[in-house]
Parts: sequence; C-alpha cells; structure tokens
Amino acid sequence: MDKFKITFYPEKKTIEIGKGKTLLSAAISLGINLNSSCTGDGVCGRCKVIIKKGSVSTLPSGRITNEERKKGLYLACLTTALSNVEIEIPPESRLDLSKLSDEEAFLSRLKGVYTKAESIEKSEPVINEDIFIHSPLSTRLYLEMPDPNLQDRISDLERVYRQIRKVRDVKIMQTGLANIRHLGNLLRSSDFKVTVTLGNRNDTTEIVLIEPGDTSKNNFGIAFDIGTTTISGQLVNLNTKQILGTKATFNQQATFGNDIITRIIYAQKEEGLSRLHHAVIDGMNDMIQALIKENNIDLNNVTCCVCAGNTTMTHLLLRVDPTYIRRDPYVPTANFVPVIRSQEAGIKINPRGLLGCVPGISSYVGGDITAGVLACGMDTEKDLCLLIDIGTNGEIVLGNREWMISCAASAGPAFEGSGVSCGMRAREGAIQRVKINKSTYESDVTTILNSKSAGICGSGYIDLIAEMLRAGIIDKSGKIKDIENKHIRVGKLGKEFVVDDNIYINDVDIDNIKRAKGAIYSAAAILVKHMELNFSDIKKVFIAGGFGNYLDMENAITIGLLPDIERSKFKFVGNSSLLGAREIMLSSDAARKAEEIAKKITYFELSTDPKYMDEYVAALFFPHTDANRFANIKL
Amino acid sequence: MPQELLKEQWPNAIDVITIGATSQEGGTRDRAIKVGGQNGLPYLFEESDMPNKPVIAMEVFDIEPVDWPDTLKKPYGDVLSNPVEWAKKCETEFKADLIALRLAGTHPDAGNKSESDAVKLVKDIIANVKIPLIILGSNDEEKDNLILPKCAEVTKGEKCLIGDAAQKNYKTLTAACLAYGHNIIAESPIDINIAKQLNILITEMGLPSDRIIINPTVGALGYGLEYAYSIMERGRIAALGGDKMLAQPFICFVGQEAWRAKEAKASASEFPEWGKELERGILWEAVTASAFLQAGADILIMRHPKSIEIVKENINQLLQK
Repeated sequence: MDKFKITFYPEKKTIEIGKGKTLLSAAISLGINLNSSCTGDGVCGRCKVIIKKGSVSTLPSGRITNEERKKGLYLACLTTALSNVEIEIPPESRLDLSKLSDEEAFLSRLKGVYTKAESIEKSEPVINEDIFIHSPLSTRLYLEMPDPNLQDRISDLERVYRQIRKVRDVKIMQTGLANIRHLGNLLRSSDFKVTVTLGNRNDTTEIVLIEPGDTSKNNFGIAFDIGTTTISGQLVNLNTKQILGTKATFNQQATFGNDIITRIIYAQKEEGLSRLHHAVIDGMNDMIQALIKENNIDLNNVTCCVCAGNTTMTHLLLRVDPTYIRRDPYVPTANFVPVIRSQEAGIKINPRGLLGCVPGISSYVGGDITAGVLACGMDTEKDLCLLIDIGTNGEIVLGNREWMISCAASAGPAFEGSGVSCGMRAREGAIQRVKINKSTYESDVTTILNSKSAGICGSGYIDLIAEMLRAGIIDKSGKIKDIENKHIRVGKLGKEFVVDDNIYINDVDIDNIKRAKGAIYSAAAILVKHMELNFSDIKKVFIAGGFGNYLDMENAITIGLLPDIERSKFKFVGNSSLLGAREIMLSSDAARKAEEIAKKITYFELSTDPKYMDEYVAALFFPHTDANRFANIKL
Repeated sequence: MPQELLKEQWPNAIDVITIGATSQEGGTRDRAIKVGGQNGLPYLFEESDMPNKPVIAMEVFDIEPVDWPDTLKKPYGDVLSNPVEWAKKCETEFKADLIALRLAGTHPDAGNKSESDAVKLVKDIIANVKIPLIILGSNDEEKDNLILPKCAEVTKGEKCLIGDAAQKNYKTLTAACLAYGHNIIAESPIDINIAKQLNILITEMGLPSDRIIINPTVGALGYGLEYAYSIMERGRIAALGGDKMLAQPFICFVGQEAWRAKEAKASASEFPEWGKELERGILWEAVTASAFLQAGADILIMRHPKSIEIVKENINQLLQK
C-alpha cells in the first residue's frame, strides 16, 4: 500500500499515513488538536488547513469559499494525500485545549463549595464532612507479625489475615495470586514487618499490595470529576483527608465533538472508541503526574482513585462502547461498575491501585449527579429540594429524602467557556464579573487573579448578558441593537459588543448562551411541572457546576437561567461531583450511600414529553417569554 | 329542573385593531375596518361578545401570478396583469373588505422591481380604491427593508396593515409603522412562544399592542391545518386568560396555502376520481378558511371570488345569535 509523509507546521511533526486516510486523522494520530465539532463529517468546516507542498485530493465542500480555495485552504477531514504533503495549521483551526490550569484560581472556587453566594450574608454549611465514617477505598496498615514456629504454624497468608483481623473487623478477605507468589520471601526478608494496602472491593476486602517496612503514612488517592468539557482532579491524603491539590483541564475529547452525542457517534467510527478513551485518560494521567510532582509523592503511593462522570464519560473512561446510550430505548451498558484495578482502564497510579466509578442513574444522568446529590445531602433533606448542575449537560434532580426524580438537557459547552468567541475556562485572566455603564457602555471587568483579561468564563458571560440587557444594548431576544457607540461594531458573524481590549461578544455567542440557559431552565420547569409542583414550593435550590461562589445569582435570574424565587433559597455547591467523588473515596459508608441514591432516583426522559419543546422555545428569551414567571426582574 | 349551561368568563379580551382611516380620521378610505375585541372563544355568544366580525382581504399582485391554476385565474379575466384594475375589480365586483397588495415583483428573483415602481403602484391603488389596504413585501429581507418603509411613508395617515415582521427582521418595519401610523403583521412559524416573543419585541420598540396582527402561519386542509388550528386555539386561550402579549387578532393566509395544495390545483384529467377541478379548488379554499374561522381568525386573505362568497355566507350564519 502507498504511504505518504504528512508534515504539520508549525509543529514540524511528521507521520506516515496510508493512502485514503484523511489529513484530520493524521493530525489526530500525532496528537495535534484541530477544531472538528462534526468529528470529520465535512459539515462544520472548522478543520481548515493550508497545503504548502504536495498534491492532495479533496471532496467538494460549501465550507470553503472560492477565495479560501485560491489561498490553498482545504478541510482536513475531506482531504487525502496523493504525495508527501506539508501542511500549515492556521491558528483559528486549532482547538485550544490549554493544559493544566492555574491551580490557585481554581482552588479558590472549590473553596467556595458549601457556602452560598456573596449576596447571601450568612453562610450555612450544607454538609458536614464527618457524617461519613472515615474508611477510604484503600487503606494502608503496618503489620508486625510474630515469626512462625512449631507452635504457631499457620500459613503465611493466614498469618497476615490474622494480624489484620486483630486491628480491623474484616469478614471476607482475598488476595491475588501475584501477591501470594511473593509472600513467602517477602515476609522473611522483611522480618515479618510489612505494610499491606487493603482495598474495599464490593463487600470484600482485598490485599492489594504487600510491601516491606512501614509505608502506611503514604497513602494517597485522587478524586476525579470527568465532565464533557472539563476534567477536574483532586489529590487527597487518604489518612488525614487533607486536600493536597486540585487541578482542572479541558477534556481533550472535545477534538471529537463538543457534546456527548457527537462523541457517541464518533465512538462507532474506526478506532473511535479507543481515541476517545485515550483522550480522557491521557488528560487524567497528565494531571496525576502534575499533582504528585508538586507534592513530591511517589506514584506508587497513590493507591486508588474515584471518578464521577456522566454515563457516557464513564463508558468512555472504561472503554465500554456507548452506542446504545443513544439508541431507543436509551440503555447504558452499566450504571453500577464494580471497583476495578486502575490499570485496567489505563489510569496510571500504583499498578495494583483501585478505581471506583460513582454509580449512575440512567443513560443521561450519571455518577456525577449521584455524587452531587450525596455532596449536597439532598437525600437526607425533609424539605423539597432542587439540584441544578450547570454544565455541558444540564442535569436536574428534584425531591427530598422520600423520593427523587431527575432529568438531563443538553446545554452545550458555553457556560464552560467553550464554543463562544472569546470564551475560556475559569482560570487566570478570565473575566468573571462585568458591570456596564448605562450611558457610555463602558465595561468595568473583574478578572480571576486580577490579571490582564484573556477571555470570558461562564460567570462572566452571565454577568455580561444581564448587564447588556439592563443597559439596553441587546433586546429581549438577545440581538444587539442598532446603536451608534464605539463599543459596538460589526464583525464576521454580525454585531459585536466589545467588552475589553479585543474581547467581545457577538450575536451568535448570545444565541449560544440563550440556548444553554433555556435548556437548563426549561428542563427544571418541566420536571417541577411533571410533579405538579411550582418553583415556589421548593425550599432549597442547590446550584452545582464550575461556577462556585462566582455566579451572580441576581444576574443568573435576570437572564432566566435560574427561577425567580426567594434568593435565600439558593445554595451554591460548586463542583459537587468532585466533592461527592472525594467523599466516596474517603468513606465506604458514603460509597454505600451513593449506591442507594443511584437506585432511588427516578429518571424522567424529556424527549418523550411533548411539552418540553414548547417550554424550551418559551425559555429562549430574556428572561423568559412568560414575563410573569420573572415578575421581580424589571428590564 | 332545566339544565343550566356552564358559562366561561374570561378576564381578558382581544385588542381591537383599526385598519384604514376615513377623511375625518386623516386618511382617504371610505370606511375603516375594525377587527378583534372578542372576550371569549369564537361564536360562543351565550358567554361572550364578538363586536367585530371576521373580514376577508383579497390578494392583488404587482406582477401577474405564474403559479395560479386556470380555474383561479378565470374569474379575474384580463386584470391579472394590471394591479390597479385588479384591485378595483376586487372592491366593486367581488366586494372585498380589504385589498392585500403583495409586492411579489420586487423580489430579486421575480422581476426585481424598484422602490419607485412599488411606491407608484401603492399610490395608484390608494387613489383608485377606497377600501383599506394591506401591503405585503416579497419575503426578501433586504428588499422588504428597503421598500416597505417607503410604502409606509407614502401612505401616511391611511392606517394600512403592513407585513410581515418576523423575529429575525422586525426592526425596520416596526420603526416605519411607528413613524407613519400603520399597523403591523407579526409572523411566527406556528409557535405561540415565538409569536409572543415577537409581540414583546415590537411593543418594546414603542408600537402599541393594538396595532399588531398575529400571522400564526397556517397550512391548508391536508397540509397541517390541524397543527395551525391548535396553535391558534392555544394562543387564544392564553390571551383570553390574561396574556396581553398574545391578545391580538389573527390574520390567516388561506388563499396562498389552499391554492398550493395538489388537491386544489390538479386537473380533472389527471385525477378523474377527484371530481371537477373548479369545484374542488373552491371548496379546498373555503373549507380551509372556515376551519380557521372556528380557531379564531379575524382576517382571511383569500383568492377565489366563489370561495369568498361561500365563506362570507358561513360567517353570516355563524354570527346569527
């Protein structure tokens, strides 16, 4: 078979590909991230590349203008090489997957977990961490055993079990063959002084690892929240429960589509599932490396991790085909995944370390929501509560300790700073607060860490749109009005409002945010209506998502993202998925609770409710088509 | 014991919209037409009033229509190429309540007539016809935004009804109607939420709600009629229940939809089992119109004089108390 060398600039990376392989697939194989929201179907027109040298064959596409064609631009997904080719990637075709974020910026958000927004004066803790018994997924025990002698002749393995049972009430114990094979020599060479790592594997306790000497002090775990757009990880000392570091990064699966549906479709393509799987674990492994390096921890002392993600993310993490999630009647392969070895999923911690996945509820409401419910303690509340998780998939849970019902709506990645012109994740330089002068339209912005503004994050967008509405820059449908002002200009995609040096928002961005907020609000409204309740019946509303404390509630209500009810009912729980995952990692009690929660929550499929579309269109307005529902918002 | 009828009382009524102005009112029409004002569901006189009866507007095109079947062209004779004569015929011979002048020929793909052509025609029609006027664009956003404001300007004081404004393109037309005292048609794609959103946007520009007519977009019998019907019904119930931003009269483009249906157009030789094409076409339009009357239509835009006769008769029957 003919093979050609494909070289990408400015990376100067070369790969040999077979005839018939697309340039996009060559880029992916090299780990070069091109924009490709349609995952290579030739529809989105975002993977444009310039052919500098060599000849290619391409399929016709309306996404390339005549002018672009003359400049040598091609869609990488529709183009194959006919010779060795040199390719230049223009910056706009590049997918910005900035690596690990500035930790401080992100940490300060996570600190806000469990407290209410600044506008609420008294902070009220939602959960007391100590309600769960401290019993981590993996524990390390130092054992000093008596040498065997003629009176005490039990086997080495039983000797270890006996010693463990002296300090722990453990009923069923098991050990892998690999450990047993080394046991005899190991015990004798270490003078019967060893550290065992015990793992809770679904009601049995497994001796995961036996090491000489006392290493029981070094026991660490990492909790992950695997979001469609963002992955967050937190390194925890399993003995002391101390949080040692938190990091976040974009989920590199974005190369294969912005939402879960496109990714499920991509998973069906050749090598699709494997690429998606690697994209997520590569991100996680990078994060693990960075976390242990900063804390000077040996990888072998990271003995477990727990992941909370939506059902599709969990499938892809475990490399389980997610196809049937998307097909009627929308059934996942597994909601409850047993504790496995991390290595089996490709996660690099101690080679015998464990991986727990928080159990999911249904195809579209996953373990991240189970973890969220656990973290905010909704399952213990007597009063009616609503949990709204604002992310690429907006999930809603309604109920209390008696019953809970959930649904999911696809909001898109706008609130996570993706898919919008100047969007970015909440890290240094992101505009998170905006005030607009109503006569000059001058914006007063606050950025994370007060650095030079680099883009706008989710909370910034919410502020910005609310302020634009108040200042009369946009109408209630979100269109920028025809106003003569130096901050309003016409760009490629229509009118733009300039917020700060070269940072702007345009009509298309506003439309994206409008759809995102509409999807989330209408999902909540339908669920509440379905139970024949009103928003006013709800006593507590937990707001989860990357926003933390930084979401301005009044502005979120002004744009119609959150219902217009008493402000004191809102409680911000931040990344409750990560929090729940951490709790589950630190306590088998919490893990059991999570299972109960996942079993208890009923799933309500929005797509089968004929009223949903109607609610959604009604929510595509600022704040809402039915102004009576937002009676306190005067625009 | 005699059984008593359960009567529904609604808290809100539909806005009354006046189209056309007489010389006393600053225009040159011989009458003004009022639509709307009902405070209950259509024709339920036991429980509500319907102060203004539904009216019928006849369409006049600025270029000879190409897609009309012969059965529809016939009653118009040779006026189809002469819009002024056409309009006069509708007024005097067919007794139309209003003229709906469609400036289809200004569309870049259909003659691309200029602003001055359009303005001249509007002036001629105003001078030669005395009934109130509806002015409709060509559905080319750019061209409509150029031409409709000019037409609004030269008809200042006549209280015309001008359309259509849509969610994507409402600002220019709203501003023109505001400046020259006209009414506006607000079009939404069979969606009461969008209908309401558009009404809010238009009123926020300063045009009062009693100068808006809702075009809910309808389909002919067999082509989604029931979908449009239920949207109108829902809109009306919401309006009567207190939603002021949906409490506007409905305009239904019955003629254009009905005469597009294969069942109305196809020749008898093609489908002998369907019966005579003339009868079929007329009934298709009349039945479609009658259904929308029941859904609450206030203005029907129709084409065939015979269907109009049937529907007028139907309206009179419905109004008998």
